[in-house]
Amino acid sequence: MRKLLFGSWLLSLFFCLSVMAQDATISGRVTSSDDGSALPGVSVQVKGTTRGTTTDANGRYTISASPRSTLVFSFIGFTNQEVAVGNRSNVTVTLESSANALNEVVVTGYGGTVNRREFTGASSKVSGSTIANLPVGSFDKALAGRAAGVQVTSANGVPGGAIQIRIRGIGSISAGSDPLYVVDGVQINSTNNSSFTSTNPLAFLNPNDIESVEILKDAAAASIYGSQAANGVVLVTTKRGKAGKTQITLNYYKGLADPIKKLDVLNTQQWIQLRTENLVNAGTAADAARSTVLQTLRLISVPGAANPNNLPASLSDAEIAALPTYDWQNAVFRQGQTDNYELGLNGGNEKTRFFVSGSYYTQSANVVNVNFKRGTLNTTLTHQINSKLSIDQTLKLSTIISNGQFGGPNGGSFLGAGAFSSPLILPSVAIYNADGSYNGTPALGGIPGILNQNVVQVSELNQIRANINQFVGSIALNYKVLDNLTIRPFVSLDYRSIRGKNFSDPRTADGINVRGRIQDQFNENKNFLTNITANYTKTVGKSDFGVLLGAEYRSDINENLLTNITNVPTPDFKYASAAALPQNIGGSWTGYRKGSVFGNIKYNFNKKYDLSFIGRLDGSSRFGANNRFGFFPSVSGAWLISEEDFLKGGRYVSDLKLRASFGTTGNDQLGSLFAAANFPGLGLVSPGYDYNSAAGFAPTQLANPDLKWETNQTINLGLDFGFLGNRITGSVDVFQRTSKDLLLPFNLPFTSGYSAISRNAGEVQNRGLELEINTVNVRAGQFQWKSSFNITTIKNKVTKLYPGIVPLNNPDSTILLSYVDFYGVGRNAILGRPLQPQFTTDYAGVNPATGRAMFYDYAGNITYRPLTPRDQKYFGTEQPKFYGGFNNTFVYGNLSLDFLFQFDYGRRSFNSQTSFLIENAGRNFNALTDVYNRRWQQAGDITDVPRAYNANAETNSVSNLGGTRTLEDASYMRLKQITLSYDVPAAISSRIKASKARIYIQGANLLTFTNWSSYDPEFLNFGSGNSGVVPNSKTYQAGINVTF
Amino acid sequence: MRTLKSIFLSTSLLTVSLLAVTACKDSTFLEVAPRSQGDSQTALTTAEGFDAAVNGIYDRLQSVVLYGRDMLAVSEALGDNAQFTNKSGRLSGENRNLISNTFGTATSGGATWQTAYFAINQANLILDNVGNVTFSDTSQRNRLQGQAYFLRALLYHDLSRIYSYDPGVAVPSQDRGGVPLITVGVADQSKITFPARAAVADVYKQIYSDLQNAIRLFSRSNPSAPAYGNLQAAQALFSRVALYNKDYATAVKYATDAISGSIKLSSNASYIGGWRAPQNPESLFEIQFIVAENIGVNTSLQTSYTTLVRTGDRTATGGFGDLVPTTAFINDLEAEKSSTGAVLDIRRQLYELGTTGRGTAFIECTKFLGKNGTINLDNVPVIRVSELYLNRAEANYNLGNTTDALTDLNVIRQRCGLTASTLTGASILTEIYRQERLEYGFEGHRWFDLKRTGQNVVKAAAQGGGLAYTDNRILAPIPVNELSTNRNIVQNFGY
Repeated sequence: MRKLLFGSWLLSLFFCLSVMAQDATISGRVTSSDDGSALPGVSVQVKGTTRGTTTDANGRYTISASPRSTLVFSFIGFTNQEVAVGNRSNVTVTLESSANALNEVVVTGYGGTVNRREFTGASSKVSGSTIANLPVGSFDKALAGRAAGVQVTSANGVPGGAIQIRIRGIGSISAGSDPLYVVDGVQINSTNNSSFTSTNPLAFLNPNDIESVEILKDAAAASIYGSQAANGVVLVTTKRGKAGKTQITLNYYKGLADPIKKLDVLNTQQWIQLRTENLVNAGTAADAARSTVLQTLRLISVPGAANPNNLPASLSDAEIAALPTYDWQNAVFRQGQTDNYELGLNGGNEKTRFFVSGSYYTQSANVVNVNFKRGTLNTTLTHQINSKLSIDQTLKLSTIISNGQFGGPNGGSFLGAGAFSSPLILPSVAIYNADGSYNGTPALGGIPGILNQNVVQVSELNQIRANINQFVGSIALNYKVLDNLTIRPFVSLDYRSIRGKNFSDPRTADGINVRGRIQDQFNENKNFLTNITANYTKTVGKSDFGVLLGAEYRSDINENLLTNITNVPTPDFKYASAAALPQNIGGSWTGYRKGSVFGNIKYNFNKKYDLSFIGRLDGSSRFGANNRFGFFPSVSGAWLISEEDFLKGGRYVSDLKLRASFGTTGNDQLGSLFAAANFPGLGLVSPGYDYNSAAGFAPTQLANPDLKWETNQTINLGLDFGFLGNRITGSVDVFQRTSKDLLLPFNLPFTSGYSAISRNAGEVQNRGLELEINTVNVRAGQFQWKSSFNITTIKNKVTKLYPGIVPLNNPDSTILLSYVDFYGVGRNAILGRPLQPQFTTDYAGVNPATGRAMFYDYAGNITYRPLTPRDQKYFGTEQPKFYGGFNNTFVYGNLSLDFLFQFDYGRRSFNSQTSFLIENAGRNFNALTDVYNRRWQQAGDITDVPRAYNANAETNSVSNLGGTRTLEDASYMRLKQITLSYDVPAAISSRIKASKARIYIQGANLLTFTNWSSYDPEFLNFGSGNSGVVPNSKTYQAGINVTF
Repeated sequence: MRTLKSIFLSTSLLTVSLLAVTACKDSTFLEVAPRSQGDSQTALTTAEGFDAAVNGIYDRLQSVVLYGRDMLAVSEALGDNAQFTNKSGRLSGENRNLISNTFGTATSGGATWQTAYFAINQANLILDNVGNVTFSDTSQRNRLQGQAYFLRALLYHDLSRIYSYDPGVAVPSQDRGGVPLITVGVADQSKITFPARAAVADVYKQIYSDLQNAIRLFSRSNPSAPAYGNLQAAQALFSRVALYNKDYATAVKYATDAISGSIKLSSNASYIGGWRAPQNPESLFEIQFIVAENIGVNTSLQTSYTTLVRTGDRTATGGFGDLVPTTAFINDLEAEKSSTGAVLDIRRQLYELGTTGRGTAFIECTKFLGKNGTINLDNVPVIRVSELYLNRAEANYNLGNTTDALTDLNVIRQRCGLTASTLTGASILTEIYRQERLEYGFEGHRWFDLKRTGQNVVKAAAQGGGLAYTDNRILAPIPVNELSTNRNIVQNFGY
């Protein structure tokens, strides 16, 4: 690389007219735009001369040059910069990291790195600095919108909660679709084993410890990881020590989080009117209806009274008008807070370098009593034992306490889920009594309506917690056998324990009748990995060869213990010994082993042509006895066109590289995340089918000894480009990812005693286009404007299910397979359609004459009673048509403004939260004001909201909440992040002996553009859609970062 | 340095080659056996295994879609005893007989069918393998084998009465036959079959044969009643099955056999108390639930039927009380009064006013009230002694033995505090039907009793207006899964 730069400098020597003038001594310092650190080893040249020097360990240099000359600063991984000297004696320069340009380094796994210029695969890099200091519990959340082909979705707004990453679409039907996460060479077990709270197995890592994240996308890049690579690989490299003076970094920020949106629901008077209307429309006499509704409402609790809570059965209009309305959303949603404290030390000498950091991070959600606390300690040590032998060691310790919401970890229609219940509770119900105590506790008879729990009480008194301790450590020896042969043994352990706790307070509805319930979970995961690799390079003439050979063994064991005990003396007793009545105890074990050999041969000719072959043989205990081993090869090549004579040195094209790859990778996430994980091919009987206190079992799985991995075949064509002196850089990739032998439930008639047997039968295709483009729009003096934009569009299609599925009895003869996916969500796969389809009946609006909900039948005729499956059709998918991000950075001197828009377009989702709110009080729930206003009221009304009708279904009709009525467009664009920062001038920062100081203010999710009618279009469907999901929040924060 | 280098090189190369060789040649290196589950090949090779396997069938019966709720509450919702309250919205579709709102469909598509067939497969596996294992105790084998036959008979009878017409009352133009008959267990892929629907007569033939086997085996063993299948329960089930089959002589025979068993009809004095005890002393067979098996506040029988936590206490609200008796049903219970105007029928005491905790109070059924000591936890009677007398009365009436019919009818009437009836002719049958309705109120019989006698279901408009016997909704739809996996299955008419 440096040779190349030197070459181009030599070229410029010939073409530029050198102007000699009287020389002066110029000195200065070169720092990195990433983190402001000193850059040692930067080449400083006087343009047009042979004169040059390099910077020292502190980034300082001295050179003699004339005032009329220009200095050229160049360094690997950074964009060259030219500065006219003028009358200055001090020229200090900040080099811009040239992320995404062809001279960055690509991390390829197993300790390997390669210059992007020679890289033949498709990958995206996100540098640590771009995702640092965001108010997120785990780094994966911060990747949203940053890389093409990488779709990042937050399951919810729980701090440190679950995140889903899908690289280049969904390539599995019923197996897992998560990428492999590798942190400093350690293959992380990313299974989420927490029973009571939404947690994220990647939250153990402080995002600010990350140097870079490399996302391997095509087979050529990922197939070195073989049967784990089909869903892509995310390689995380953490920060390392740098030789030189020990740097001490202090980092602090504080943030506030507010709800993005609250829902506009009815007041008491509107609700009484609407509910009465429901009953009247369903045939109840008006007086009786009004009396029934008033009896349903109770305003205050009067303990001890005979019939304490009822309103009188009749109230005058004036009395009704005087009834108060209470805002339950206000009581449940609140301002969250974030605090982050960090201390980092980094330094060393030529032999030993270290990086040590400690952090403490706390974040509370915008919903009552949901929060996250994490302490981390991270050390990396690199030591050169002698000229041949060096050692790399990493150790990451973290402890997390995460308080989740009562109900389910992933939300759901649970009465205790604040976000779900608060808009639905009847508006006449007071939250607190006059004395400040909770209204409507179970002891006082509950609150009226279906949601009869005071959700504030439930959220505040119950305790739902996960206490996660994790350590991830590794040690590697690098032994340089010969100058061009290195052998590297590596051992790592990823250990995680989760102590889960779910305490139902005896004063709450779920606890009162059992006098309190204590559920404890202990889950322990031991993930051991060892490998050894040998790396050999050889140059013969214009040919460079590189060979990597390796062997690997991994064993992963998970044990779980769950206890459930009721009856505590008082709410003060929250641990199991205090509980009198054991309910049940569960224990389980699962595990797998895996053995592999792999290799990579690279060949480069004349620095222009690259070729790479990868092969990996994986054996896994997860595969059936007849198919224990799978082989995953890939071949790829690249042509650096810009090095060809016809382009080299051109004015417009700085870099141009064409890449092509073909290869196969595997997916071994078979079985399910839960019960029979790791044993998908065995015939099993399962315990727990007990009766009358005696043990029982039942057959639960039929054996399939032929079961094997899923195979992905990926073809990728890519073009990396840099134009106009790399002011415009980027990549465009087209790919076709064909996922074959997909694990499918071969559905059986229930008469067989089983619902399905797992077979490798399905095929899904993802065809897509990715574009990443980075531009320097303006560079004028102290002002600079840079943009980066990425967009991905993917066509996902199920191309094969197994033969023999009987077509549905509808005119389309739809071939549909129902299954439960890896994450426990019941879904359909339809042949010829994308995965996660919406397959339902077509809502036709409201009959203007009667107010009844109408549907279209298969022939397009109106019906009140559509039949399933006859009248069902495909109505879009939960997958987006395209997604991406658009980032802009404005720098003026020490001031910079950075903002990121992220977008996700074309997702069609069932709005399960809103589906309750559009019932229009068909049951005793509150309703959306907008839907209330639009409801059909009299003959001739043209609207899409049917007349209010008790229990939501008119005689001889189906429920008016069915079909496409509850499907919504979940597309959105949001201002994901905006940061304004100021680098304090050295003159000021040096007064506190700091080498560098930066202060900033930042906002996240400040703007969201969407038609989604619920809180937040960004959520994951874990079976109950978006209902009860803690929504993401708007956050504001301010921080300071000082380096000594 | 040189030695270090060679040690390093050789160790590394050795490790690589070892790893490679073991991985490729010796795949036992990659064998991991499950520890939380068992191997299906060895599960049924010991006496203990069979015992656990039989418990596994009972566990299926506890399911919400069978006797945990649906066999009782959905059946009541479909029939004419009950009205929905909309306090949670549950069972409102079933109560209005909305299309496809039936057994198992509220929980998940076709779950009743699915759970019943899973349980039948478990019974089949036991019956297939029980002969291959030596039991040191033959009575243990008889007991386990007898239960497998008994449970298979019960499940086929339940499937048959949900999904097909009962013998003698089919609507010929809509009749698509009985349910598939599977009598061989599926332990591996090779045993999977794609059966067509059997003729209803063949289904009954199979149930008869299973019950005969159960009775034969139970006579030589002594499983504990009422938690497990037993001789008296098998005889009682036989009398019920024969009644459905219009095979009245058999119904009389087995009812008589069962009546002579050790579990007797409760007296007037102990009848209501029997409903407050964890086990009803009249139960011949009752599904047991322990604390860990609590179905909970959403779908237990207690929450389905009542808002009360305990009888006589309207201050504490427990469940939803989704399904309550219609006024007509309560009126019928109150129809016979003493000279002072007091209601004679003690069964009226099993219904009382619920709480206002979830809205307007209704009179609710309190047969399920957390009798096992924990809210929402009740054992579920499947067959009680009362049924034997009414079965025999109905069968005798149909055989022309009206005197015997009246005698049995009066056993039930007098036990409930009513006067002995002196009815004659067809009125006897009407009164037998009426007593069946009142005696089994909210125990899941009414819908099936109307159906097996070919009667229309008469309901108020608020409960959907009822349906004629010829309406296709009399039969539940076969689950879509069966149609999409098995070309030989024919869907019921009108779905």
